Amino acid sequence: MSEAALPLLQRQLRDFGVGAILAIIVATVAFVAVRNTELAARQIDLATRTATALAGGGAPLPTVQGVLVSPPVPSPKHPYLHQRKIRDDGATWHALVADPVHPAHKLYYDAATRFDATGAVAELMRDGTGRAIAALPACPAGTVATPATPCPIAIAITSPAAPAPYPYLVMIGVLGLGAAIAAAGALVSRRAARVGAFAGVAALAVPAMLWHAWIATTVILLIAAAVTFAQRAMWTDRIASAVSDHRAAFSFLAPAGVSMMVLVAAPFVIGLVMGFYDHHAGTWSFVGISNFIEILSGGGRELDDPLNFWFTLGVTVLWTVTNILFHVSIGVALALVLSRKWLRGRGVFRMLLILPWAIPNYITALIWKGMFTKEYGAINMLLHEVGLDGVSWFTSFSTSFGANVATNTWLGFPFMMVVAIGALETIPRELYEAASVDGATAWQRFRHITLPHLRPALGPAVALGSIWTFNMFNVIFLVSGGKPNNSTNILVTDAYRWAFERGERYGMAAAYGTVIFGILLLWTVFGTRIVRRKEDA
Amino acid sequence: MKAAAALLVLAVAACGQSRDQGVVLWHAYTGGERDALEATAATWNAAHPETPLTLVAVPHDSFADKLTSAIPRGNGPDLFIYADDRIGAWADAGTIEPIEFYVDDTRADRFSAEAMNGMAYRGSLWGLPLATKSLVLYVRTDLVPHPPTTTAELIALAPAMKKTGGFAVAYANADLYGHAPWLHGFGAQIVDAAGNLTLATPEAANAMAFARTLVADGIAPGDAQGPTVASLFNAGRAATAISGPWFIADIAPGVPWQVVTLPVITETGKPAAPFLGVESVLMSAYAHDKTAAFAVMDALTSDAAAVVRARDARQVVANPAAYDDPAVAKDTVLRTFRAQLAHTVPMPKVPAMRMVWSPYQNALGEVLAGHADPGAQLLAVEREVKGYLVR
Repeated sequence: MSEAALPLLQRQLRDFGVGAILAIIVATVAFVAVRNTELAARQIDLATRTATALAGGGAPLPTVQGVLVSPPVPSPKHPYLHQRKIRDDGATWHALVADPVHPAHKLYYDAATRFDATGAVAELMRDGTGRAIAALPACPAGTVATPATPCPIAIAITSPAAPAPYPYLVMIGVLGLGAAIAAAGALVSRRAARVGAFAGVAALAVPAMLWHAWIATTVILLIAAAVTFAQRAMWTDRIASAVSDHRAAFSFLAPAGVSMMVLVAAPFVIGLVMGFYDHHAGTWSFVGISNFIEILSGGGRELDDPLNFWFTLGVTVLWTVTNILFHVSIGVALALVLSRKWLRGRGVFRMLLILPWAIPNYITALIWKGMFTKEYGAINMLLHEVGLDGVSWFTSFSTSFGANVATNTWLGFPFMMVVAIGALETIPRELYEAASVDGATAWQRFRHITLPHLRPALGPAVALGSIWTFNMFNVIFLVSGGKPNNSTNILVTDAYRWAFERGERYGMAAAYGTVIFGILLLWTVFGTRIVRRKEDA
Repeated sequence: MKAAAALLVLAVAACGQSRDQGVVLWHAYTGGERDALEATAATWNAAHPETPLTLVAVPHDSFADKLTSAIPRGNGPDLFIYADDRIGAWADAGTIEPIEFYVDDTRADRFSAEAMNGMAYRGSLWGLPLATKSLVLYVRTDLVPHPPTTTAELIALAPAMKKTGGFAVAYANADLYGHAPWLHGFGAQIVDAAGNLTLATPEAANAMAFARTLVADGIAPGDAQGPTVASLFNAGRAATAISGPWFIADIAPGVPWQVVTLPVITETGKPAAPFLGVESVLMSAYAHDKTAAFAVMDALTSDAAAVVRARDARQVVANPAAYDDPAVAKDTVLRTFRAQLAHTVPMPKVPAMRMVWSPYQNALGEVLAGHADPGAQLLAVEREVKGYLVR
């Protein structure tokens, strides 16, 4: 169906619908955030006011439970156990112990312990009941708490509270109003239709404005403006007709598209954002670009310090280049041998040589690690057999790095071999025959016929292989583990260590991930361009 | 930030509201330990049908990371079994629940003081102990008729062993856990009483130099790890091995062996003291019925349950009363592990400890390979760890 045939009203309502869905999502997120913040503030205020009242000798507010809890008396036998007393009826003190009738007693006890450790407490409880708890010092008039004479603690817990329900009726009303405005515009004229589309979507900003959610209000107005602009530039019509023309194609793409969003795009965006935060003892704080500054400045460490980013980057580049060299040269050499027609049992050899690629790489890595151990490793045993001393593989950079490279070469050459075999099959035999007639040597035939024909296939394989090798976590982590002294770590294993071995600095690790992504992006954009230029030459 | 926290809390509430009754416990036990735990759980479930205990076996790899990420989102267990070394980090992050409120002196008396001290952090109590784990000395009785009681006696085993290409002692000398007995025996410590790191001390350097001498003089193999230690011991190429209770499963059938407590360091006159790990039941801060969850903790760590674990799984249980059971009392291996308990150092619980392992291991690797001086390496470790602590 062509776009001109669509009546203006139908197009208008379609465009309004898209804008309204986005606006409702934004408004709903804003509503949930606002009502939760409001509830927390109200509950915390109630708890704090009650605790303050109790501390001053007053009574708790209605619907709020308030008690006084005594300072701790440590057990003479077990210094980590403390006895406390509670005054919950206003007059008498009694022991604060586990009591099935009063489950809140544990909350009072723990709040008092936290008060002793960190001072005044006022927060929403984390059990999802919407209750707030507050703990304040309750010193009798004219006295001040000292370590020797601590005061009792006034503790208040509010009743459970649920946040305000979602205002369905308001949202439906505003949606209807917006649709009416948009439709009215479309009935008047083409220009009025655009004004109507803007006003219709913008109507959804009204509830956000009433909740004082200014960011959401702005975003909704921007959505309204974007819809109007897209309508004017005919983008909405074009997108709509493309969708309806290729409906079947889109429905086939949808499952993959959704899983890519969930499995690739969402973690990527979350990782990107995490790089701007710092994680410490379970709490996150925004730190801007300081993680990136710490990484790129080397964290104030010497350039030959393995913890300096630039050192690790150097090792990573060396690691990638060395591996690719071995992968390509061994892969191409074996492919040349296996593509000889006279070779018997080529199928068997091919299958055997592809095996390293077929076995999960962490299993291979663990086997090689075992082969490199000093006392019982297969490699040192072979050295002993030929009368050489065993090598302590992971105590110097060169041997440790060499062990990693040997493992990854074993893992990586089959891929290049398979690609090269495929490319070799496509070279016309006539070229070799013609070259032989012209008297070309074997080397000349390789240099001027085989190699140029391999390049188009090997180029992308090298680009892909370099990215895999650059991020080859398993081999580095399982074989050398960064030994000696972190020097054989590559960027991705270093990122892991920031997250799990250096104080759960998840933000730092995420920033590392972003930097690695940036490097690989530059390499795919510019590096492949260099490869392609060489092909053209 | 507060708004975000409130949002998170309510989101968690929304996700976690529909839970069945009962208590869920995650553990990474296998073999005999798992059977013993299941037996105790069956006893509990028969007596308390109203709060059934569900055991969930989780693979040990990444168990801790699973807990750290699942619990704050309300998807974790009510209880779980883990060693005490993460208590500090989990307590600071609000992942685990303090249980001091439920525990009185009588209940605390049920456990050995060493194990109970392992459960304490920041003046409160965070779990109930199941078993203790430490290193001891495994001796091949065919090669060593009289087990060494001092390091001098241990080293004196070397000349005879060298003749057959063997070693006096094999232990995981490349990591801090394996090195710790010497470290403490030389009077050093990783963390002082106030919780501050004390890595670069003359005592620690002496201990590292001692470890280097063991390797340089061919008394112990360099860069040995668990599997190598077991292979050397089984092949008769190591007269003794330093390892923990898990080593028993690695000893080949037919190898004559016994366990003794670690030797006294001849230079200092102090006994070598390994780290003490305490396996314990911990409660999630998000457990949905904490009273019921504690009742389960209490039952799992009772004297009766301890007897089952000691007898069937040979666990070095934390309840002294369990050793009065005749079957347990005659187990000489368990008796040795209990005797070692007196000369152990609790695993430090400050979160900074987790940043020490990897740098210390690197430093040990460099020193044992003869590349570096112990004092300088320890200073480098201290500098590196303090670098991570700076925010």
